[in-house]
Amino acid sequence: MLLFRSEQHIDRWCQQWNRPHGGTLSLVQGWKLARLWYGDRLSPDWRPKTVAEAEMVFREVGLVGEFWKLSE
Amino acid sequence: MQKATEKFDQRMRMYVYRYLLRNGKAPRIAEMAKGLVTSAKNIRAGIGRLSESHAFMLQENGELWRAAPFSCIPTAFPVKVGKRSWFGNCIWDALGIPAMLNQDALIGAACGCCNLDMPIEVKGGKLRTGSGVIHIAVPAREWYKDVVFT
Repeated sequence: MLLFRSEQHIDRWCQQWNRPHGGTLSLVQGWKLARLWYGDRLSPDWRPKTVAEAEMVFREVGLVGEFWKLSE
Repeated sequence: MQKATEKFDQRMRMYVYRYLLRNGKAPRIAEMAKGLVTSAKNIRAGIGRLSESHAFMLQENGELWRAAPFSCIPTAFPVKVGKRSWFGNCIWDALGIPAMLNQDALIGAACGCCNLDMPIEVKGGKLRTGSGVIHIAVPAREWYKDVVFT
């Protein structure tokens, strides 16, 4: 997961590495995702998120669609 | 009731995070065994279980590679919190370090294409500076099949 100046720079990177364009999110969404994903990581009781919980986090951040689905 | 392996893994996970926070680097397997008064074999078994969720991952040399959100090896995502600094594995993890610690941070990010400096400041639980677009190359279902490109 990398940060780019703009969509054009993402396209250039995809061309360079011969990869299809993937999913994108704003830096603000990235910060929200980081807080929801890692906010409880220092708790001794932390446990990995289930697929449903992880998908709920993505939805909360506005990451929806096939690209962000974890369930089959 | 919590299983003995779950208790051990919980202790080990917290040991690794505390070590990382105190020393700015990850413990080696031998240090973990000494610190937790157990064998390297038990440590490797515990990391194996924690790796199932990808929270922890090992390098080819058998030492820790990732204790999410921390990278145990230098990366292009340095994160400075006060006088201390760590590395994130990617931009998500770099943001994850101040999120996890609930502290202000400076992230030394750069454009993945042209390497233009794109520093990010987190202050008071908010993004203060920083711009750009985050790109994930691999669909969510395949993230851990292709960790490097993800």
